[in-house]
Amino acid sequence: MKFAKIIFIIFALFPFYLSAETAEEQGLRIAKASYENGRGYTDMVSDQLMILIDPKGNEVTREVSAKTLENLDPNDGDKSLTYFKTPKDVEGTVMLSHTHISDDDDQWLYLPALGRVKRISSSNKSGAFMGSEVAFEDFSGTDYRKYEWKFLGEEMENNETFYKLESYPNYENSGYSKRISLIDNLNRTYKVDFYDRKGELLKTLYLEDYVLYKDKIWMANTMKVENIQNKNITIFKWLNRELDVGINKKDFEKSSILRLAD
Amino acid sequence: MLKKYIISFLFVFLQYLVASQNAAAIDYKAYGFIQPEITTFFNGDGRHDQSNSNQSIFVKGTFITYLNNGNQKITINTTGRIDEKDSERSYIDFQKFKYEQYFDDITLKIGNELIFWGVNESFNIIDIINQSNLAEDISGTKKFGQPMISLNYNHSYGNFDLFIMSFFKERIFPGRNGRPRLALEVDKSTVAYESSSKKNKIDAAVRYSTVYDDYDIGIAHFYGNNRSPELNVNPLSQKLDTYYPILSQTSLDIQSTKGAWLYKLETLTAKNGEERHFGIAGGTEYTIYGLRETTSDLGIIVEYTFDDRNDFAFNNEGVLALRWTKNDIKSTSLLAGLVADMSGSSNRFFAEFEQRIRDDLKVFMDMSINGEIDADDFTYAFEEDSQLTLKIAKYF
Repeated sequence: MKFAKIIFIIFALFPFYLSAETAEEQGLRIAKASYENGRGYTDMVSDQLMILIDPKGNEVTREVSAKTLENLDPNDGDKSLTYFKTPKDVEGTVMLSHTHISDDDDQWLYLPALGRVKRISSSNKSGAFMGSEVAFEDFSGTDYRKYEWKFLGEEMENNETFYKLESYPNYENSGYSKRISLIDNLNRTYKVDFYDRKGELLKTLYLEDYVLYKDKIWMANTMKVENIQNKNITIFKWLNRELDVGINKKDFEKSSILRLAD
Repeated sequence: MLKKYIISFLFVFLQYLVASQNAAAIDYKAYGFIQPEITTFFNGDGRHDQSNSNQSIFVKGTFITYLNNGNQKITINTTGRIDEKDSERSYIDFQKFKYEQYFDDITLKIGNELIFWGVNESFNIIDIINQSNLAEDISGTKKFGQPMISLNYNHSYGNFDLFIMSFFKERIFPGRNGRPRLALEVDKSTVAYESSSKKNKIDAAVRYSTVYDDYDIGIAHFYGNNRSPELNVNPLSQKLDTYYPILSQTSLDIQSTKGAWLYKLETLTAKNGEERHFGIAGGTEYTIYGLRETTSDLGIIVEYTFDDRNDFAFNNEGVLALRWTKNDIKSTSLLAGLVADMSGSSNRFFAEFEQRIRDDLKVFMDMSINGEIDADDFTYAFEEDSQLTLKIAKYF
């Protein structure tokens, strides 16, 4: 009899338990679904343009090409190999990065002027990437497990309804106190507001030109970052993005940097 | 003679490789820069009556092409300089002129190559494969390409490298009008070797390197003509005679990367001719990111080197340097520091500033100020050579 009672209580509580998903759990669920939206790409090659625009409207363009390898181990991060083409004085620079979810990333840099491969510190989370408005942590911090999440509700923008999520970095040395993300009903991130350590709005990221790859993976081919404080704008464009091209895993080892280097 | 044949063969072979590809399909990268330089010296004419100014033009050109779906690579990397005052400083060198063949885990390389070993910022004591050009830069960081055949095997336990080298290149020293230069001239007509094969001696080296967690580790052994000659005063000519002993050097290099802290160590034991010596160099680099809530970083570098040879120029030296990087669109950076002889009172201050001023132009300013230098220190010859060099690089 006692046993039946327990079962009864469990069943009675169950529907209540479901509806009582906390704002944190709901936030985590949506963030996870959004992250998993971009998974399963196996590997990727692309050319990237980075356009830096100052408040006066002056523009400079930087070009890199990159290879990325998805880590099939869900508890470890992806690997990427980036080749810098412009500005001309950095042409031939190669950066290899092994990202980790809970640990600092491993990074190596080949600089043509020095002719050597250097292991570099990756604890520079908040630093600017190549003088842009994009911080290193914006690249390495795409994994939902690097944040605490909270669902804030739904919000209308441009006649579309978005999930509104708040997130706080749970790694050290972040330049952000929080981020507010808008995610659409296909689990694609539309917009992210970044707040600096003092809690002031620092910059807004817009993700545009979403393309569906392999019938299941949504990737944004344009990212625009508007810095609210210094009025600079950085635009990233992915060109010639190809997924699942069959890149050799060994291309992402330290010794392979020299195969790309000059 | 043999060298000429090999170079012609390599040249014809490369031409054949390129010609055998579909001409339209050849994908190559070519880039480089030309860099005029002006130097002014603060203490008037030099101790050896050198001029108080100098002008120079440095050029570097790079050509890379991949053939056969990226399984073969040809790299040409040429540097050269025309110097107003010092003919020893005018040169052209194929730092890299190599053909590479990539197999799954193996890389085969033939030709001129630059190989760097080590982890330190300042005292690269284990770096031995390439010859230094002291006329180009007295600190020895500028190197000449070394002809070699090399094999690299990439195993899951790490990387194994084998280098077979020949056609030794003698060290280049500043000439009579060079500034800075040694007190006495180096006599290029009296070069002697321990090896009876002299320049044609076959040198060999092996290296094992691996990455384990936060550690980058390398173990290497080199056997061949020492790149660094003994300099002996010839009482008749009052010039320096060079003698290249055979060097057998075993080295270890480790870098540990712990967050914003880098710990570096290079150590070696070597038999140079008949005598064995020991050297160790290392230090730490700590970087403060986002200095005072700006985008700037400040790195603090402390390095020390010790060598148990009393007559060795760098047997007990330390460096303290600061590296400031603004992380702006112009890639502005400044490296400044102090090099000091810990067993004497000799010291030197240096500063290197660089900034991109246009997409294809970069400006560099290098300053070197000598403090008091002990008369028995070999750098005493450079005491009055404090200088400022302005360089502008035009990239194409």
